[in-house]
Amino acid sequence: MILGRVIGHVWAARRDARLQRAKLLVVRPHAIYEPAFATRHLVATDDVDAGVGDDVIVCLGAPARASLGDNNMPVDAAVLGVVDRIEWRPDAMQAPGAGPGIKRPLGGIEAVLK
Amino acid sequence: MILGRVVGRLWATRQAAGLTGRKMLLIRPETAAGRETNRLVVAVDGLAAGPGDRVIVAHGSRVRDLTVGADVADKDIVIGIVDGHELKGR
Repeated sequence: MILGRVIGHVWAARRDARLQRAKLLVVRPHAIYEPAFATRHLVATDDVDAGVGDDVIVCLGAPARASLGDNNMPVDAAVLGVVDRIEWRPDAMQAPGAGPGIKRPLGGIEAVLK
Repeated sequence: MILGRVVGRLWATRQAAGLTGRKMLLIRPETAAGRETNRLVVAVDGLAAGPGDRVIVAHGSRVRDLTVGADVADKDIVIGIVDGHELKGR
């Protein structure tokens, strides 16, 4: 799962039939995270009624489909929760190689705390 | 999923059997703000997208199985054609 902020909505009339009822959000990950491409954004389905400006937890891959309750949705990212509060220690963020996919220490999380 | 723009099509005479008869699109992933990145992705079209369209591209074998079929040799699939998107709260 990754932490990000909802920055917008997407509308698509022509889309896969199983997606017709899905709400699609644009999420900017708070860390430099590369699922497949360095696009600095994700499009995720939303079941928890997140709004623009909310910080959210986004799940990628098969668990995202499982969380939607339908393993037959052709999606690879889903918003699983809206963040109420985050506690963090700045010194813990400085460790290099914080995890797979994270190319440098987390950036932008300070904005979460404001 | 990510947002991208279809910049062209691709044809190949010698190709894997899993690509025969499949429409392949060249897609430039965009940033959320709509700026094009320097990346390029070859995706199989699950809809009827064409050059110039902005699309939603999903990745993964399960997505492929559900949309264009398990016999296709590509894991990047176009699953939506974008009509519009709204960005706020940056």
